[in-house]
Amino acid sequence: MDHPLPIPQFLHDGDFVSVLKAHGYEIAPRLAEAAAKFQHEMGKGGIATEGTTVLAVKYKDGVLVAGDRRATAGNLVMYERAEKLINIDERSVLAIAGVPAVAFEMARVLEHSFKYYQRSQLQEMSTAGKVRSLSKLLKENLPLTLQGVGMVVPIFATYETGDGKDSGGKVYFYDALGAQFEGVDYAASGSGSLAVRSVLHYLNTWGGKPLAKFNESEIVVAALRLLDTAADSDTATSGYNPKSNIFPIVRVITKEGVREIPESELGRVYKSEV
Amino acid sequence: MIEEPYRWVEAIANRREYIEDQLRLGSPVVVLNYADGLLLLTVSRETRKVFEIYDRVAFAALGHPADIERMRLVAIDLAHMEGFNRAVADVSLRRLVNFGISPALKTAFEQVFSAPYIVKMLLVELGDDSEQDSIVKLDYDGSFARSEIETKEPFDALAGGNEAQTAMLDYLVEHDGSPRRTLEDALKLAAKTWAVGMDMAEQGQDKTGEATEKREIEPEKVLREYLKMRHVEAAVLDRSRPATGKFRLLDEKEIRAALKDL
Repeated sequence: MDHPLPIPQFLHDGDFVSVLKAHGYEIAPRLAEAAAKFQHEMGKGGIATEGTTVLAVKYKDGVLVAGDRRATAGNLVMYERAEKLINIDERSVLAIAGVPAVAFEMARVLEHSFKYYQRSQLQEMSTAGKVRSLSKLLKENLPLTLQGVGMVVPIFATYETGDGKDSGGKVYFYDALGAQFEGVDYAASGSGSLAVRSVLHYLNTWGGKPLAKFNESEIVVAALRLLDTAADSDTATSGYNPKSNIFPIVRVITKEGVREIPESELGRVYKSEV
Repeated sequence: MIEEPYRWVEAIANRREYIEDQLRLGSPVVVLNYADGLLLLTVSRETRKVFEIYDRVAFAALGHPADIERMRLVAIDLAHMEGFNRAVADVSLRRLVNFGISPALKTAFEQVFSAPYIVKMLLVELGDDSEQDSIVKLDYDGSFARSEIETKEPFDALAGGNEAQTAMLDYLVEHDGSPRRTLEDALKLAAKTWAVGMDMAEQGQDKTGEATEKREIEPEKVLREYLKMRHVEAAVLDRSRPATGKFRLLDEKEIRAALKDL
C-alpha cells in the first residue's frame, strides 16, 4: 500500500536537492541537446547573457563582495542593472559570473537547501557543507557547461562565527566543473577578473599593508577602483555609470551579517576617491 | 469484518478512542500574541516540541515523538517545495493545512489496518500585522479549526483532552488583558495557562469514581511542581526580526528570567 503521506520513511538527511529530484526537478534539464543545436545555429557565444566582474576580498572585519551591473550577450549589452550578488543566508553571499539563468537558479536551490537543512536537522549546515553543496550543483550542471551555454563560475563568500581558529571571513572560488578552492586573501571571477586579480596581487604584496589590514572604508575604495580598472579594459564590465547613475553592488559580510553599502555612500566615494 | 459498514464505523470509533487515550496526558501547548508577534509555549521533558517550519510559520505538537517528527518533516517539505517552486510569499498556512497535511492525515486515519498517527498539532503563521496572524489546530484525523483571530482572540490552546483544552481557553479568556503585552508578560500567562491545562489533564486521569468536587487550581504551584522534572520550551515568531526568517527559539535564561517570580 502506498503511504498517504509523502514522508521520508527511514533516514532524513536534510538534503533539499534530493527532495526536489523526488518531485521531478532537474538542475540541468534535458536542454543540453536543444542547447547544442541552438548554439550551432547562433554561432559561438550564442545569445546567452554572460560576462562580468565580481570579486571578494577579506579585510579587517570580514569579507567585502562586489560586482558590476552589466550583463552582456556576445558584443551586446543586455542589461545595465543586473545584480550579481545574491544573499544566500544571513552570513553568506554568492557572487556569480557566467550565465545568469543558471546562476540564479543555483542560488535559489542553495538558499532553500541551507534553510531546509537547518529547519529539518535543527542545526546549521557547516561552512564546509555549504561550500560542498555549491560544488555539487556545479557538477550537476556539467552538461550545460560542456555545451558552452550554461557555464557558471561563482565565488562564495561567508563569515564563520564562533571563537574557533577557523572563525572569520571566508572566500571560496570554483571552476566551472565544480572544483572548489579556498581563496587565501581574495578571489575574482568573470571576464574582467584578470585585471582585478593582478591589481589585488600587487596591492596585497607591495601596497603598503596587506588587504587583511584594510578597514571598511579603505576596502570599499579599493573595490570601486578595482571595478573601474576592470571596466577600463573589459567591455563586458561596467564601472560607475554617471549618465544613468548606476552603481556597482558592494556588500560586506561581518560578524553581524550581510550589509549592503548604500548608493549614497558609493556616490560619495566615487566623487572623492575614484 | 469491516466490509460491513457498521463494522467500519466501529473500527473508526475504536481507533479514535485509542488515539485519544494515548494523547490525553500529552503536555499542552499555548499560543499567545504579544507586542511583536506570536509566542508558542509548552513544557517538555527532553524532546523538542516547538519548531520552525518556514520563514513565518511555526509548529508545536503533542503526541508520539516519532509522529510529531514525521508531521514536522512533511510540513517542512511542503513549505520548502512551495517556496522554491513559486515564491516565499506563496507559502501560506491555509494552503499548507487545507491542501497538504489535512487530506493526507485523513486518509491515513481511515486506513484502519495501518498504525495511526498519534499527534495533535498547532500551526501558526505570522502576518504582516497582528490582525493577519493565523492559528490552526490540526487533529490526528485531519480535521482542523482556524482560531478566531479575526474576532480579536489572538490566542489558542491545544491539549490532549477536551476538558483540559476548555479549561485553558477559559483561563486565557479570563486573563487575556492587552494583546500588546510584552514578551515577558506573555511568557508568564502562557506558562500559567499550560499549568491549568496539565493539571486538568492529570485530574481527569486519577478521577476516583464521581469527581464531585473540583479542586481549585493554583497555576503557579502546579507549574513549580512540574518544573522540577521538566523545562519550559518557548519560541516566538517575531515581526521585529530583520532577517527573513522570523522564528526564534527562546533561550533558557530568557525564559527563566521572565518566570522567576511565579
